[in-house]
Amino acid sequence: MATPILEVEKLTKYFGGLAAVKDVSFAVPEQHIYGFIGPNGAGKTTLFSMIAGALEPSAGRIRSRGKDVTGQQPFSLVKSGIARTHQVVRPFRAMTVLENVQVAAHFGRKNITRTGAARDHAMQVLARLGLERLANTLAANISLGDQKRLELARALATDPELLLCDEICGGLSPTETRTMLDLLERIRQNGTTIMYVEHDVKAIMAVCDHVMVLNYGQKLAEGKPEEIQNDQAVIEAYLGKAGSQKKGSRTVA
Amino acid sequence: MTTAVFAPSRLEARARFVLPGLLLVVLALLPTAGLTPNIIRLLFITFVWVTTSLGWNLLGGFTGQVSFGFAVFYGLGAYTAALMIDRGANPYLSFLAAGVVPALASVLVGLPTFRLRGPYFAIATIGVSEATRVIMNNLTITGGASGFRIVEHRPFRQVDHYYTALGMAALAVAVSFLIQHSKFGMALRAIKQDEEAAADLGVNPYAYKLAIHAVAAALTGMAGGVFARYAAFIYPQGVFAFQTSVYILLMPVIGGIGTVWGAVLGGVVFGMVEEQLVANFPQIHLLLYGSLLILIILAEPDGLAGLLGKFFRRLRTPR
Repeated sequence: MATPILEVEKLTKYFGGLAAVKDVSFAVPEQHIYGFIGPNGAGKTTLFSMIAGALEPSAGRIRSRGKDVTGQQPFSLVKSGIARTHQVVRPFRAMTVLENVQVAAHFGRKNITRTGAARDHAMQVLARLGLERLANTLAANISLGDQKRLELARALATDPELLLCDEICGGLSPTETRTMLDLLERIRQNGTTIMYVEHDVKAIMAVCDHVMVLNYGQKLAEGKPEEIQNDQAVIEAYLGKAGSQKKGSRTVA
Repeated sequence: MTTAVFAPSRLEARARFVLPGLLLVVLALLPTAGLTPNIIRLLFITFVWVTTSLGWNLLGGFTGQVSFGFAVFYGLGAYTAALMIDRGANPYLSFLAAGVVPALASVLVGLPTFRLRGPYFAIATIGVSEATRVIMNNLTITGGASGFRIVEHRPFRQVDHYYTALGMAALAVAVSFLIQHSKFGMALRAIKQDEEAAADLGVNPYAYKLAIHAVAAALTGMAGGVFARYAAFIYPQGVFAFQTSVYILLMPVIGGIGTVWGAVLGGVVFGMVEEQLVANFPQIHLLLYGSLLILIILAEPDGLAGLLGKFFRRLRTPR
């Protein structure tokens, strides 16, 4: 079997005495959509932040195509093909939509120097996501749905091999969610591997090839979507153990 | 509602080169028009301030890093040029060195201070600035607190000062525009708005801040050097004073922070009124600057350039 695009080994993050992520290991095969679900505070975003370089892991290793990238800064990970989107979007509000994506085109994996070429590349990405009509609009003035797509457009414009999507459908209408999931599917078909965190279990089950369930920072289960849906431990984590609700020790917010 | 920002037309793009070119030609011809030496001197000072204003604007306006420590670079440039010219070096070579030395110093200043964010960075630069002033006050090879007199051994004309300063200010404008419309400039704009988001798109904020700091320090240092040759006497309480740092910061804020012409405008206004204010209100001229600063920040954060822009937009759209 080919080397997985990303291998994570016993990754752990402590905030003070609390383990937000503990001993999580997995491997993401190329061109998969690999999903992560779990209750609030399960450690999904922390996991992503460590892989994208925003947080230094307390322990464990991260390997990209066999190369150790643990503890590398976000900007150098982007250059080696790992990009992320944020749950809470952070567009450059005083820049146009096109300029937002142009930054990513300049400093992504292709490292485009000429502004004209970077703008062309950015325009192509906007067209793929149906944002070209907003190209010259200030990012501060577009809707949340468009801002979510802009967040994705920026990450895509860096030409990632591995794309980390954190709740790109959060706050979107069912129709917008459908469009976004179609986009993910198309991005994967173009050869990009995707790691996908979402609260909406249905969305995850619809697009993912492989799903991992996190609970209290630890791996609870992993497998194909249909396996996960019937996993007893997963059902308990989400709905509580039969007859245990009164103890209140494991209720899910 | 959406605001469309349109790309400039070809005519406007051409005007961007033609108008500054014309301005440069007019300014270059001015000394032949029989102006009084006092006017020429005032213009010289203005060019020096325009250069520092543009230099500070690269870091403070383009990149959003507010520094109160630019007197360090102005002073280092002044002393570098002074020491070299006094020892008989070519003045233009000395001005080059007056750019290089502060640029190197800016890296030393930036390495620790750019680890800090926002107000903490600003406060750290005050500390660096004051420490440098105290060191220079006690450094014997430069005459310490009693200052340094520059004796120029080569013949030169008075008008040389004017042309040197004009050329330098033009260089600062050109450098500012080149950076603004480049990949480098995009990185700075991204860093100004959101450092983490910029890093997520592949920008190394620390490296870019160090780089633009060096360019800004070089321009500011050259201005210090050109001023030193003209003044023929410099002293730490002057060029390294905290007040100098505040002046350098004040100009782009008055003119319009973050825009090239705003920074130029700020330098021009400051250069023209500074001496009048000092002469007419020696006790309270600093108070006047302070009041002006508060007024601008409250009423028009985009400075005079922002005010002019609003005015012209209103002219264009009659109602």
